[in-house]
Amino acid sequence: MILLVSIAAGALVGWGYARWRGVAWHSPVFRATWLVALGFLPQFIAFYLPSTRRSLTDEGASLCLITSQVILLIFTGLNIRLPGMPLLALGLVCNLVVILANGGFMPLSTDTASRLVSPTIIDSLVLGERVSSASKDVLLTEANIRLPWLADRFVPPQSLPYRFAFSLGDVFIAAGAFWMLAYNRQTASFF
Amino acid sequence: MKNLFNQAALSLSKINKTHLQFALMMLTLVMLVLGAGAPEDLSGHGR
Repeated sequence: MILLVSIAAGALVGWGYARWRGVAWHSPVFRATWLVALGFLPQFIAFYLPSTRRSLTDEGASLCLITSQVILLIFTGLNIRLPGMPLLALGLVCNLVVILANGGFMPLSTDTASRLVSPTIIDSLVLGERVSSASKDVLLTEANIRLPWLADRFVPPQSLPYRFAFSLGDVFIAAGAFWMLAYNRQTASFF
Repeated sequence: MKNLFNQAALSLSKINKTHLQFALMMLTLVMLVLGAGAPEDLSGHGR
């Protein structure tokens, strides 16, 4: 959700600024777009498609996640010259590194999970296992997380009705996507 | 009905190459950030 909001906000700011300046808004032009479709496919099968995600083992889902992120990393490398892409690539590297260091899934600490949902739900979760078949996260104790500062450990302020945990990598990815769309190619400037 | 069809055809004719390129770019970016990111809202618990 946070990631899609950053895209919408970036497009709105980029388009609005261009309109205010009276110039045309040019969206980024990617190279090797097919790599994104190829890279997203394993995750679509492992996490999004209900019929396949339930039948896939954790090892299979983990392999899909890592393969997918490696392909997406290649795509970011090919498009690194685009504004915002270095930041987005940095976020992807952060997430991939912490996923690889924690057995193939994004670690979520019990402390962070308890800030998101009620104790009843926390009790029903199994330590060391994935949160759900639709999730990229594995529930671990803080002490068992490798590279904890790259894990899903941040939560939005209490005032926000939508509760979620996100990583430093997610912040970089959201900022990179926003930057990419907010950047005005016509005047080669920001805002 | 015929009027409705004409209006739909007129709207479709306004979709040009730029609109399709923009839609493809947005789709690419959505797939990229969803694939690269890993936020968790625990809403999928139990699925």
